[in-house]
Amino acid sequence: MARGEEAAFDAFYDQVSSPVFGVILRVIRDPAQSEEVTQEVLLEVWRTAFRFDPAKGSALAWVMTLSHRRAVDRVRSAQKEADRERRAATKEVPYDEVAEAVESTLEAERVRRCLGGLTDLQRESVILAYYKGYTYAQVADLLKVPAGTVKTRMRDALIRLRDCLGVTA
Amino acid sequence: MRNHKEPHTLAGAYVMDALDDADRARFERHLASCDACAQEIAGLRETTARLGAATATPPPAALKERVLAAARRTRQHTPAVTPMRPRRRYLRTAIPAAVAAGLIGISVTYGLANSTANQRLDQANQRLDQVNQSSAAIAAIMTARDATMMQGQVSGGGSATVVMSDVEDALVFMARGLPALPAASTYELWLVGPGGDRPAGMIQPQAHGMTSPVIARGLRHGDHLMLSVEPAQGTQHPTTRMMLDIQL
Repeated sequence: MARGEEAAFDAFYDQVSSPVFGVILRVIRDPAQSEEVTQEVLLEVWRTAFRFDPAKGSALAWVMTLSHRRAVDRVRSAQKEADRERRAATKEVPYDEVAEAVESTLEAERVRRCLGGLTDLQRESVILAYYKGYTYAQVADLLKVPAGTVKTRMRDALIRLRDCLGVTA
Repeated sequence: MRNHKEPHTLAGAYVMDALDDADRARFERHLASCDACAQEIAGLRETTARLGAATATPPPAALKERVLAAARRTRQHTPAVTPMRPRRRYLRTAIPAAVAAGLIGISVTYGLANSTANQRLDQANQRLDQVNQSSAAIAAIMTARDATMMQGQVSGGGSATVVMSDVEDALVFMARGLPALPAASTYELWLVGPGGDRPAGMIQPQAHGMTSPVIARGLRHGDHLMLSVEPAQGTQHPTTRMMLDIQL
């Protein structure tokens, strides 16, 4: 890399590494693997930056979409073998755990407040899918509700969160 | 789990990566022919990004050097056609301007996430609205076909990044690591050229010495961008030593 490029990457790292690592760690849970995936994501973003199109959404959405996707990929490939144990281990209601772990920042506070405004089923669907990386079919299984219901609750939940968070797109 | 009647309802599961491969492929085919869906997906992706950013956790410090080392070995992909650009004397980077524009979005959102919990939500909202208004103008400059990025070190601490577009006849200035100033002082930007110096905006470092992006317009041939410390209300001509000199 040219020197200027390196400085730009340095700045880029400072800007995005915390949200990227945060969401990956939340999904994968294992810190060492999370660091690995964080590195992969940051390099992928760096390599493919020219593809980013601000007309299609914010850079944060772009970076976080990729981060979440890669974290989920990692969990799913490990999940195949450990599926049963994992299901058994995550029967607890996860909301408090997530809420507790999230740093008490203004943004986190706001997200927590908006999550609190959802119905229980909506909230649990979002937490199991987004923060834990389950498919909607798995979420349906865990929550013992029909898959079709989970599907619509997920969409309803995100629309409510979008409005509550004041997202404009 | 197939529902062929209403693929649209899969939008929520889709943006949360909660579809299996088959459902995902099917939904993406649907997306390709559904403009309304694409718009909804964009809004929902901004939403999940916020869910993700709320979990922001600094990675262990050692990761940074590992990632930087890997980046040094990694070439950036570039678009097939690269516009011709004039040679510049100062450091120019290959980072596409578009992603730099995007970084502003991240610093805004993430900067908000770092504010003290006591700060009033509506104050934050107001700030975000202001930022949104100016961000369109900033994005126009940073995504211009001829956008060029330059960087410089600020004597006294910090570094500055400038993205300039001749097409837009404007530049965007950002800095980080600037030392905090006493309340009676401010950083002021200057365009200094053969025709004299013109004030180009005042900047206040926020957390970590990051500045909000500042737009300067009306560039002239031979201009340099400079920075000095001035009285809080600003001045018409610089009164102290310049701390930065970037030839535009």
